Amino acid sequence: MSIAVHSINKRFGEFVALRDVSLEVPTGQLVAILGPSGCGKTTLLRIIAGLDSPDTGRVFLQGREATELPVQQRRVGFVFQHYALFRHMTVFDNVAFGLCVRPRRERPSAAAIRAKVEELLALVQLESAATRHPMHLSGGQRQRVALARALAVEPQLLLLDEPFGALDTQVRQELRRWLRRLHDALHFTSLFVTHDQNEALEVADAVIVMNGGRIEQRGAPEEVYDAPASGFVHRFVGSSQDLPARRTAGLLYVGPMAPVPSAGTDGEVSVVVRPQDVQVNRAGEGWPGVVGAVRVVGPLVHMEIALEGHNGDPLVAEFERERYRADPFLTGQTVCVTLRRYRTYPTDPVG
Amino acid sequence: MSVAAHLPRPARGLGRGFLVALALGYLALFLLLPFGVVFAQALSRGLATYLHALTEPMARSAISLTLTVAAIAVPLNLVFGVVAAWTVTKYDFRGKSALITLIDLPFAVSPVISGLIYVLLFGAHGWFGEWLAAHDVKVIFAVPGIVLATVFVTFPFVARELIPVMQAQGRDEEETALSLGATGWQTFRRVTLPNIRWGLLYGVLLCNARAMGEFGAVSVVSGHIRGLTNTMPLHVEILYNEYNATAAFAVASLLAMLAIVTLAARAALEARAPELKRTGRTTGGHE
Amino acid sequence: MAFAEPRMPATPASTVAFAARRPRRVLPGFGLSLGYTILYLSLVVLIPLAAIFLKSGELGWERFGQVVGTPRVVAALELSFGAAALAALVNTFAGLLVAWVLARYDFPLRRLVDALVDLPFALPTAVAGIALTALYSPNGLLGSLLEPLGVKVAYTPLGIVVALVFIGLPFVVRTVQPVLEELDREVEHAAATLGASSGQIFVRIVLPAVWPALLTGFTLAFARAIGEYGSVIFIAGNMPMRSEIAPLLIVTKLEQYEYAAATGIAVVMLLISFFLLLGINALQAWSQRRLLGVAA
Repeated sequence: MSIAVHSINKRFGEFVALRDVSLEVPTGQLVAILGPSGCGKTTLLRIIAGLDSPDTGRVFLQGREATELPVQQRRVGFVFQHYALFRHMTVFDNVAFGLCVRPRRERPSAAAIRAKVEELLALVQLESAATRHPMHLSGGQRQRVALARALAVEPQLLLLDEPFGALDTQVRQELRRWLRRLHDALHFTSLFVTHDQNEALEVADAVIVMNGGRIEQRGAPEEVYDAPASGFVHRFVGSSQDLPARRTAGLLYVGPMAPVPSAGTDGEVSVVVRPQDVQVNRAGEGWPGVVGAVRVVGPLVHMEIALEGHNGDPLVAEFERERYRADPFLTGQTVCVTLRRYRTYPTDPVG
Repeated sequence: MSVAAHLPRPARGLGRGFLVALALGYLALFLLLPFGVVFAQALSRGLATYLHALTEPMARSAISLTLTVAAIAVPLNLVFGVVAAWTVTKYDFRGKSALITLIDLPFAVSPVISGLIYVLLFGAHGWFGEWLAAHDVKVIFAVPGIVLATVFVTFPFVARELIPVMQAQGRDEEETALSLGATGWQTFRRVTLPNIRWGLLYGVLLCNARAMGEFGAVSVVSGHIRGLTNTMPLHVEILYNEYNATAAFAVASLLAMLAIVTLAARAALEARAPELKRTGRTTGGHE
Repeated sequence: MAFAEPRMPATPASTVAFAARRPRRVLPGFGLSLGYTILYLSLVVLIPLAAIFLKSGELGWERFGQVVGTPRVVAALELSFGAAALAALVNTFAGLLVAWVLARYDFPLRRLVDALVDLPFALPTAVAGIALTALYSPNGLLGSLLEPLGVKVAYTPLGIVVALVFIGLPFVVRTVQPVLEELDREVEHAAATLGASSGQIFVRIVLPAVWPALLTGFTLAFARAIGEYGSVIFIAGNMPMRSEIAPLLIVTKLEQYEYAAATGIAVVMLLISFFLLLGINALQAWSQRRLLGVAA
């Protein structure tokens, strides 16, 4: 089922949750809506599901207008952040609910319902938990029950609100790969909300980055990572750090580094650079600095450099551990920094 | 001075023992003693007198009237309580907090005034008094008046218990049920109702205890006609004023047992559904 | 590129997409439930209560003043509010003590005691009234002990206070106890590590946290005690000008068919009670805002 959303606005009292949001998701894609808390991503998801209604704007499902369509008739599977399992029902009854509440004419026979639920429980590997109540399940198991329950009504569209937010790191990594396989096997359209960039980049076909009720960028994961459309996206997706710079007459001056040609209006700009794009030289051109703390982070090494004349946080350079080992730096050593890759953005007054 | 002198004394030993003893002594004196007196007085002239006081015709008619009134008032307020709690917790609308305040209103009204308002409406000199007399309908000094006054004083109980419970449960489960295709009624019956059943039972218990024990409001509208409009609490009053204290305490002991049953059921429910413990504990209102 | 630009629908966006629409509620049945709630509320509570104000309006200001200004009425109102305030004050201290003991200490039969605190809610007031009278009358269990000391409880204003203390105890306990239980013990431990004594911790950490609940409990107990009838009339003695409470005076006036006087007293009591209720709600809203912080 394809989704199209046109110019949606939504406020809650004084708070503007969505400002003129439009997007389109083609059938069959797994799409992540990524953004910090309060950016409007959950509201957008709830509006697509029919759990909230937009103040203005329209929602289309499968090309048909669905803005006024009640949630019951949208045939979407919705998985809540905290799963919203029916706490008084067993796992089996939870999954069977959507089938049991159908009008008698459309309701499958008891045997058919049983077969369907068992099939779904097998799919989510919870056959043995059928008679248990939600409170006796682990977080990951609850999540899978919620998914099975949503899938029971054979939705064309699966909407998930922070589906892995309440789980341990290990479980969430397993579950998100499992969700990807499930999505590929069952051929529906999925849209999930997350504030975890790794989750979005690893699982999704496409990522929508939201901030302050607006869509900042949409694109394939590598596109969002490699070519951020704004300073916000650059800083939010992947790690990055800011350096103050100035553009004068088409030349960019970053600290004492040699000016480079740069298109754009003159004035103060922010240079945003990822740690792996910081080049550290023992001597030569660049921005001189002193090596500070060096930390091993798994296969990587993070090295802090206090840049000369720079009042902000030390710059972090990232190395592969093997390569760093072969040629290490010493704390207190003077080095020269150049930037392999960076992007410039207008300086954000709030920081 | 050593550092240890600055650390708070552990809450054991003398201070704690003193506070516990003080609190328990206070409760024993002000709660337990009056309660025990009811049974001591009731049985002071032996079991036969006690049983006779409970089985004589006037007592039997008072008991049956009390049961009848509760059987009408409690279901009415049960339905209202569920609908009202559903309305204020599952929807957003303007004036919601004003509505919640209005639901609590009967708690702020003296029971005597609760009776008075119905006398002013339906009494012989009331607004509808002449019309009712012309049509030979008796409300005041009759059973309908007692039911009305009881409905009024027990009005908020069920809603009051349910609102915090339903607020804490949120709307996620209902929204999920809808997204799975359930109708509004199916959602209410299969998802909401099972989730609130303990809170509901709890509210009904309190509502019932109050309905059976109400004195002031019922006293104003009843007319104290023995065998006709006399409820158990009113019967207690009459017997007591007639210096038949033993019989008065005998009937009172039934009401006291109702209180024990209510409290025991409440404790049992709280053990089952701990979320009830945080909510609505100040439901006591006026009497 | 994973996304196509959204195709605009055939209808002009300016007319449809930007027309603000009425918020649609997701759960069905809003109109029915709200309608039923308001109808039943109006029939049972609002219209009957309005009747009393309309009735008193018929009196006119002058007559109203005459009716509620008689010394007997004034004395009864003063007694009701005074005894209620005194009893609520006693309950504030006793309630804090009981709540503290129940929330913080474990002792044998704690759960039984916890359940018993609600006894005054569950016990019909007429039962409480005759029981207290039997206890405190001159030949009663407690009355006979107090009499030699020159303390008379039954059939005096003191008896009224005793009855109102019985009735009001659970309010303070039940509002303060949950707050004490939810209080983060680590904050107290932090204060201890900073050198505060247990007395200082109670005054500077615990008391400010339970203060709103304590005030709410006091107001609830006070409001309840003002209108209390059943538990008081047996023990009060009901002497006009001395131990006659306002609700009893309403009943007396009614029995004498003095509807105007009964209504007048009732209106005065109702107005004061409503302001108390409004006060409680404002207090609760305020303390909730304070606890949740500005962000919420």
